[in-house]
Amino acid sequence: MSDSKTLIKIQHSLTQRNRAEARFHWYGRIAILIGLMAVALLFIDIVGKGHGAFRATYINLDIRYDADLIGIDNLSDTEQLSAGNWQALPKTALRERFPDVSSRRDKRRLNNLLSNGAGFDLKDRLLASPRLLGKTESVWVLADDDIDTYYKSWLDGNAYEARLTGQQIQWIGELHEQGSIKLKFNSNLFNRGDSREPEQAGIRGAAVGSFLTLVMTLMLSFPIGVCAAIYLEEFAPKNRWTDFIEVNINNLAAVPSIIFGLLGLAIFINFFHVPRSVPIVGGLVLTLMTLPTIIITSRAAIKSVPPSIREAALGVGASRYQMVLHHVLPLALPGMLTGAIIGMAQALGETAPLLMIGMVAFIVDIPNGFSDPATVLPVQIFLWADSPERAFVEKTSAAIMVLLSFLIAMNTTAVWLRRRLERRW
Amino acid sequence: MAKMSFENHITKQFDEELEEIRTRLMEMGGKVEEQLQNAILAISDANSQLAEQVILADQSIDAMEVDIDEACILIIARRQPAASDLRLVMMVTKAVNDLERIGDEARKIANHAIILSEENESSVGYPEVRHIATSVTNLLAHALDAFARFDSDAAIRTIEEDQQVDLDYKTALREVATYMMEDPRSISRAINILWVLRSLERIGDHAKNLCEQIVFVVKGKDIRHC
Amino acid sequence: MKLKSEQALELDESHVTVGQSFCDDPKMTMRNVDVFYSDKQAIYDVNIDIAKNEVIAMIGPSGCGKSTFLRTLNRMNDTVEGCRVDGQICMDGQDLYSPKLDVVELRARVGMVFQKPNPFPKSIRDNVTYGPKIHGLADTRVDLDEILEKSLRKAGLWEEVKDRLDQPGTGLSGGQQQRLCIARAIAVSPEVILMDEPCSALDPIATAKIEELIKELSQNFTIAIVTHSMQQAARVSHRTAYFHLGKLIEVNPTEQVFTMPKHQLTEAYITGRFG
Repeated sequence: MSDSKTLIKIQHSLTQRNRAEARFHWYGRIAILIGLMAVALLFIDIVGKGHGAFRATYINLDIRYDADLIGIDNLSDTEQLSAGNWQALPKTALRERFPDVSSRRDKRRLNNLLSNGAGFDLKDRLLASPRLLGKTESVWVLADDDIDTYYKSWLDGNAYEARLTGQQIQWIGELHEQGSIKLKFNSNLFNRGDSREPEQAGIRGAAVGSFLTLVMTLMLSFPIGVCAAIYLEEFAPKNRWTDFIEVNINNLAAVPSIIFGLLGLAIFINFFHVPRSVPIVGGLVLTLMTLPTIIITSRAAIKSVPPSIREAALGVGASRYQMVLHHVLPLALPGMLTGAIIGMAQALGETAPLLMIGMVAFIVDIPNGFSDPATVLPVQIFLWADSPERAFVEKTSAAIMVLLSFLIAMNTTAVWLRRRLERRW
Repeated sequence: MAKMSFENHITKQFDEELEEIRTRLMEMGGKVEEQLQNAILAISDANSQLAEQVILADQSIDAMEVDIDEACILIIARRQPAASDLRLVMMVTKAVNDLERIGDEARKIANHAIILSEENESSVGYPEVRHIATSVTNLLAHALDAFARFDSDAAIRTIEEDQQVDLDYKTALREVATYMMEDPRSISRAINILWVLRSLERIGDHAKNLCEQIVFVVKGKDIRHC
Repeated sequence: MKLKSEQALELDESHVTVGQSFCDDPKMTMRNVDVFYSDKQAIYDVNIDIAKNEVIAMIGPSGCGKSTFLRTLNRMNDTVEGCRVDGQICMDGQDLYSPKLDVVELRARVGMVFQKPNPFPKSIRDNVTYGPKIHGLADTRVDLDEILEKSLRKAGLWEEVKDRLDQPGTGLSGGQQQRLCIARAIAVSPEVILMDEPCSALDPIATAKIEELIKELSQNFTIAIVTHSMQQAARVSHRTAYFHLGKLIEVNPTEQVFTMPKHQLTEAYITGRFG
C-alpha cells in the first residue's frame, strides 16, 4: 500500500532529521560552553592575580613622636611641617627593633623594608591627634612594595626573593615570628591617587576622573541623543536628507574610537582651547562617541511604541508635540535609558580617544571638579600595566576588577530599569 | 433584464443549498399540479378510486412543505442570505405555503368528487367546472413555469390570467344558482359543485400569489396589494 | 432625515454612484474626493453627504478604500507619508482641508475609534480625561470628574468601572477597552464619531454591546462606521455605502441595500459572490 510506503519513508527521514536536530543542539551547547569558559578563564586569571592587591603588608613598630627627630616645634606651622623629616620616625623605630644592625649598607637595607611614604602616613596621624607629640605608640606601618610582594608570595609558599637580600629575608622572618608583620586591608587602593610607589598607589583619582567624565558625557549625550532621535523619528520628513543623516549615524557608530580622540584633539583642544587632560574635554569626546549609540537605541525604543497609541492620541486631538511628550516618550523611556546606560558603560571602558586628549598623564592628585586634570580607570589600568614594578601586576588586576564590577553594576541597573519601567499594552 | 442566477457564491455549498430548495419547490409544484389534474379527472370521470388516491397523496405534499421549510430555516441560520438570495429564500417559504394550500384544495375537490360520484348521473355544473378547471390548471402551470425560469414578465401575465378566472368564477356561480332555482332536487349536487368551484378559484388565487412572489424575487418589488 | 430618492429597479453596471448619495441637511459633504498614496490612487471621485445624527456604514472588500475614506474625514491621513487628498470635504460648510483650519480643532470635533482597542497605558480616569485636559474643556477637578462620569455613562461603562477608575485601562477586557475608547472619544464632545471596524477584535457579546451603544449614541452624534461585518452594517446603520476598488458604487438606505441593492457589484458583495 502506498500509505505504508510513505510512512516508512517519513520514518526513515525522521531519524535523520532528529539526528540533525540533536547535532545542532550540541553545536549550540558547545559554542556556549566555549564562551563561558573564556569568560571564566578571564575572571579566574584576573581574580587570581588581583585578589592580593586588596591587602597590603604592614610592619608593627613602636613609634615615638619626637619633635626633635622630625625637626619641628610647632604643629600649626605648615612650612615646618612640609620640611620635617617624617621618614625619620619609622626609620628610628625600625632601628630600635633591630639594634644590632650597624653598617650603613645594612641600615639602608633595613630602611628599605618600609614604604617611602610611611613617614607621611605618620604625619597625618599626628596631625589628626596632636596630643600624641612626644609620646610613643604602637603603629602598623606600610611596608615597601618589594617586601609586600615577597611576603605575600612567601605566605603562599612560593617565595619570590629576586629583589631582596638574604638579610632582609631573615629580618622579615624574625618580624613574622614576633607577629609584627602581617597583611591588612589595603585602604590606600581606594583612598589614594596614582603614585610611583606601588604600595602607595590607589585608584581613587582615576575613579573620580571616570565619574566626572561620565557625568559630563551623560549630561551632554542623553539630551542631545534623545532630542535627535525624537526629531528624526517623529517630526523629520522622510526624504533624501534624512536618509543621508540616518546612514551617517549608523556609520558613526562603527567609527574606531581613536578617531573621535583625534577629532576631540583637533576641535576641542586645538581650536576651542579647552584645557588638556580635564573631564570636560574627556566628556565631550566620549559624547561624540556615544551619541550614535544613544540615537540608534532611542530611535529603536521610539519605533517600538505601538502606532495605535500614536493614533489614539492624535484621534482625541493631541498635537504631535503632545503626542510625543505625553505618550511616546514615557513608553520609550525605558528603552532609551537602557541605551544610555549601555552607551555609558561603553564610554566608561573607553581608553583610546582619551589617550589623544592627554588624559593619560600621570596625575597624583584626586580631581575636585570638571576642570581639574584627571585620568580615568581604563587609562589607569593601561598605565599600571605598563609599569615595570612587579607589585603593579596585582594592582592592574585589582583595578580591572573594580572597573568590571562598575560595568556589571551599570548593566544590571539597565536591566532593572527596563523591567521596572516597562509597561505592557 | 438581468438573468437571475443563484450561482457563483464564494462558498459552493451555498449554491448547492439554494439550488436544492429551488428544485424541491419545483418538485412539489409538479406534484401539486398532478394532484389538481387528478382531482379534476376524478370529478369529470366520477372516478372515486382516483379521488381516494388524491386524498392519500396529499400527506406527501404536507411532508414536502415541512421539509422545504426546514431547509429554508437552515439556510437563513447558516448563511444569513442577503438581497436576491434572501428574497429567494423568503419567496420559497411563502410559495411552499401556497402550494400546500393548493394541495389542500385539490384534496377537497377529490372529497367532493367522491360525494358526486355516489349521486345520480346528472351532468349539472360539469361544463362550468370543466371550463374553470382548465383555466386554473393552465394558470398553475404558467405560474410554475414562470418560477422555473424566474420570468417576471410571464408572472405578470399569469396574474392577469387570474383576473379572468375570477370573472369566470362569478359567471359560473350565477349559472349554478340558476340550476338550483330551476330544479330544487339538484340543490345538494349543486352545492357540491359550488364547493368545487370555490376550491378552484382559491387555487387560482394561490397561483397568483406564487406569481407575485416571483416578481418580488426578480425585481425586488412587492406588488401584492397594488 | 429626508433623502432625495429616485426609483430604479434594474441593476446598474456603470461606475457612477447609484442611490441616494445626497441629503437635504448634511453634516458633512464630500465632492469629487480623490485620495492618493504617493502615485497610487486609493479613492476615485467620491461624492456623498452625511446627514446629521445619521449612522452611515461603509462596507466593501479589503483594500476598497473605505478606511482611507473614513480617515480623510478627520485628516488622520495627514500622518501618512505621501498621502494627498483632492476635492472638497466640508463639515457644516467649512472646508476641512483649508489651510486656515487647525487639524487639532478638527479632531476635537470629529472623534475616532479604531479597529484595535487602544487605550493609553494609563488609568481609566486618565484615558477619559486626557482629551478634555489638553483641550482645556474643564477648569477644575470637579468638572473633569463630571465629564469622566458622563462619558463613561454614555459609553455604558460607568457601572462596571466606577470602583476602579484609577486602575490601568489596559487591564479591562477587550470589549470594555473598546467602550473605554468610545468614552475617550466622546469626552471631548465631538460632533461626528468615526469608527474604523470597532468590533473586529471583539467577541459577539462585546460586539452586541458596542452595537447597542452605537444606536444610543446616534441620538446625539453623527456616526460613520467602517465594518467588515455586513450583518453589523445592516443592524446599526441608517444608510450603507458600498465601496469597490476605490470607487463609491452605491449609497442607499440600509434596508434597501440588504434586501434589494441596485448595483450588481453591491449585490454580488453582500450575497457573497464573485464580484
